[in-house]
Amino acid sequence: MREKIVDVKNLKTSFYTHLGEVQAVRGVSFDVKKGEVLGIVGESGSGKSVTAMSVMKLVSYPGNIKDGEIIFKGEDLVKKKDKEMLSIRGDKISMIFQDPMTSLNPVYTIGNQIMEAITRHQGLDKKAARKKAIEMLRLVGIPSPEDRIDNYPHEFSGGMRQRAMIGIALSCEPDLLIADEPTTALDVTIQAQIMELLKELKDKIDTSIILITHDLGVVADTCDKIMVMYGGLAMERGTAQEIFYEPKHPYTMGLLKSIPRMDLNETGRLVPIPGTPPDLISPPEGCPFSARCPYSMKICKIDMPEYTQFNEGREAACWLLHEDAPEVEVDTGVKRGEVNDK
Amino acid sequence: MGNYLVKRLFSMLITLWFVITITFFLMHSIPGGPFTREKELPPQVIEALNEKYHLDDPLYKQYFDYLKGVVTFDLGPSFVMTGVEVTELIRKGFPYSARMGGLAALIVLILGIPIGIISALKQNSIIDYIVTIIATIGVAVPGFVVATVYIYIFSSKLSLVPSFGLDGWKSYIGPVLALSFFSLAFVMRLMRSSMLEVLGADYIRTARAKGIPEPIVIFKHALKNAIIPIITYIGPMIAAILTGSFVIEKIFAIPGMGKYFVESVGNRDYTVLMGTTVFYAALVIVAILTVDVAYTLVDPRIKFGD
Amino acid sequence: MDNKKISPELWEKVETEASQTEKITRKSLTYWQDAWRRLKKNKLAMFGLAVVILIVLFAMFGQHLTDWDYSSQTLKNANLPPKMDVYPVTEDKNVFVHREYTLFLVSDKGEIIERLEPTNGTLDIMQNKRRVYEVDGNEVVLDFSFIAAARLKDEVAEKSFELKVNDELVETTESTWNMTYLLGTDDLGRDLLARVRYGATISLQIALVATLVQFFVGVFYGAISGYAGGTVDNVMMRLVDIISTIPLLLYVILLMVVLGSGLSTIMLALGLVYWVRMARIVRGEVLSLKEQEFVMAAKTLGASTWRIISRHLVPNALGPIIVSLAMMIPSAIFTEAFLSFIGLGVPAPMASWGTLANDAVKALRSYPHQLMWPSLAISMTVLSFNFFGDGLRNALDPKLRR
Repeated sequence: MREKIVDVKNLKTSFYTHLGEVQAVRGVSFDVKKGEVLGIVGESGSGKSVTAMSVMKLVSYPGNIKDGEIIFKGEDLVKKKDKEMLSIRGDKISMIFQDPMTSLNPVYTIGNQIMEAITRHQGLDKKAARKKAIEMLRLVGIPSPEDRIDNYPHEFSGGMRQRAMIGIALSCEPDLLIADEPTTALDVTIQAQIMELLKELKDKIDTSIILITHDLGVVADTCDKIMVMYGGLAMERGTAQEIFYEPKHPYTMGLLKSIPRMDLNETGRLVPIPGTPPDLISPPEGCPFSARCPYSMKICKIDMPEYTQFNEGREAACWLLHEDAPEVEVDTGVKRGEVNDK
Repeated sequence: MGNYLVKRLFSMLITLWFVITITFFLMHSIPGGPFTREKELPPQVIEALNEKYHLDDPLYKQYFDYLKGVVTFDLGPSFVMTGVEVTELIRKGFPYSARMGGLAALIVLILGIPIGIISALKQNSIIDYIVTIIATIGVAVPGFVVATVYIYIFSSKLSLVPSFGLDGWKSYIGPVLALSFFSLAFVMRLMRSSMLEVLGADYIRTARAKGIPEPIVIFKHALKNAIIPIITYIGPMIAAILTGSFVIEKIFAIPGMGKYFVESVGNRDYTVLMGTTVFYAALVIVAILTVDVAYTLVDPRIKFGD
Repeated sequence: MDNKKISPELWEKVETEASQTEKITRKSLTYWQDAWRRLKKNKLAMFGLAVVILIVLFAMFGQHLTDWDYSSQTLKNANLPPKMDVYPVTEDKNVFVHREYTLFLVSDKGEIIERLEPTNGTLDIMQNKRRVYEVDGNEVVLDFSFIAAARLKDEVAEKSFELKVNDELVETTESTWNMTYLLGTDDLGRDLLARVRYGATISLQIALVATLVQFFVGVFYGAISGYAGGTVDNVMMRLVDIISTIPLLLYVILLMVVLGSGLSTIMLALGLVYWVRMARIVRGEVLSLKEQEFVMAAKTLGASTWRIISRHLVPNALGPIIVSLAMMIPSAIFTEAFLSFIGLGVPAPMASWGTLANDAVKALRSYPHQLMWPSLAISMTVLSFNFFGDGLRNALDPKLRR
């Protein structure tokens, strides 16, 4: 059993605005082991991005981590001061963001931006840093890196910029890479390339990845395990296999029914989930999904269900799974015996 | 980069030529000619004067002569102050204006930029509040008001500083203050909003995610981007200080170029008017060219093409 | 997991109001309604608008606030301040000591009754530096010899004058507002309130007409340039660039010298020079709008060029245009004041805030109130327009629509 790189326990993050406290993350727990890829899936507003930013302690004002623990290599990051985090960010934990166009500083060269991280965290001198930077660019698949290292971001294409961002993030060989919707802003063909690159580098550098996305397709291919979030809470966690073929939570099932599945022999229509996500300033008392859930019961609106544990790392929060719950015919979106073996 | 420079230089020359031409033809379209005064001069005198100054030459000849003159830095003689060359006036007056204007520009940048930055960093604090109020009022108060209020308070009532002329460092305070007031307020506001905008950008988030300490994030990553609009403003700022100097020099009785310019308007001294206009235009053009070059040093995106 | 027993009825199914959750929570507003709503919420902008309206009302109807006309001179009443320190002489009559050491009879309500004529001769006045008056049987002596005396001894005078009524020293008892001339008078005895009001009409007129000229010329030029695109646009914008490189004020000054000073020439000069700013903005808007998909959509639906311009481009471009107009007015007021200072303002007997300010400069040390009123008027107007214009800009920005 590989060791846990990061273990998040009951994380709560809120934004204290003049309109009130926006509870973006309301008690989320998960872990990532060495070499694993965890996918955090959810709609906009589900709290997945804020969760990621919380791990880096990069939640911007007026946000703050309210409660919980983030155990990274044995230490609780929540307790760490900002100064201490400086040596962790970019070095032990790195992050790449959604829009490579705006995520790179337009007035400095790519080389400058990579070398900055290298010189700061690894103490190399300029010449050595430059060599390493060129190596990184080569590693992420940028052609003629010795020349392009002196280019500015606007001279790169979208896909290349994202590669450069990955290069920057991995330049110090972090233990954990957090990728916040890394392919959302890219063309579909480039998306595939970037995901391939991430998988390749993960093996080469032996880094763990937390992949944030709303796109189940992206998740299916790369992730070892998945956490489905909704309304600031985790609805379900499990391996990719379990989530895709044996979903336990109605929300997950709804998500799966709303995407085209190449791996099932199904015909019929895609079914979107009606409704909109809840307001996080006054979050609902019970299960956040109850307003849109086709199986919701009275208890769902009153109390948040407890997590039903199936295995290690496999759990779901749904009243239907409670021992006293009535037997309900649930449409999982996966008909047994109709799985296409790839 | 060289290509860009050449292009800019070329367009600047065109602009200068355009100004000279417009000025020339405007001056020569004034009804009555330069020697029509309130007191009628006898016609023979007017004729003699016209001949002396080649005013009876065909217009296009006068135009080319003038163009030639500009290139050789000969802007002709003053029509009102006999015996005085226009270039002489410029040479006498420009140093005063330059010192005043230069100081004003420096103050705007040296004070305005840091204050704007601080205001942005401490958003919504008392400092920010005060700065915003001063800046908002500052762009609504005309320079001559600042000048006259200053004179009233510090010169008349408190007798702390001289109220005219430009000798001794004390006498600089008033004019420089009046000249820089508006631009200072403007730059403070601009710097603040620019900084705030930049600090919210994605690449700042990336820098923080790399573990870069906050001071470096601000001064390396944010500042270089935030300063771009300020540099763009320097051109108009110089123009504003320049035109402001007309009035300020009059109020403070400073014998600068502005004073000669204003007098030539009143005297209808056309050669001085033309000459100083052309000189001012050339100044602004050079200033803008310099700023544009500085701009390319900061923002790599515009190196290529206009 | 705790052993809390969950009562059976809680397991009942609930119908989801899913259809309701997608209900649009707000009725939709048009662009203009939404903009107006947002503008109203901006207190600063509304304040600015209110002040502007007040100023306009003042310009149009303010002449009723004073009995005086803007041009009628009462030389005797020159340079009177708006607030006077008065000295009591009789029950209901006070006197005010003018800076030029003349005496004015003031009623106890603050009205200027008249400038008193001294009873002693000019020689006595010049030699002994005193003026003697008779008020309702009382002898009033104004002694202003102190400054001259101190100068002889090379000292600083303690006071500039002394007032004695029937040989008794009198001190000032109160400070009253000048009820005859609410804002004081200028050097020709003209009521400043009337002049500032008149100046308001002139300055506002100039600003308005100049702005309109800029609007029409600029919109016309810019729309054509933007819509035509290509070389036409290039050439037209080149011209604008060349013109704009130089401080536009220089052109205005030159134009004014050519055209001569006058109300209409100022309006013309301002309009004919500053239109380039509007042209640039309009051209920019048209350029970006032209490429937008709704224009393409209109075209595919078969809309004619004219319809495209009038129904689609102009309304969308109107936002920045309106904001520019709002900001051009204070700019014109500034420029007009500036021109006045150079001597290119409206000619006498007309008066604008600029000419009022210019006239008042020479009296700054003695009678600062004369400069204060036009300066205040200009600053307040510009400030209010700035607030309003800023608010307008925020309200009309479609990206901020909530």
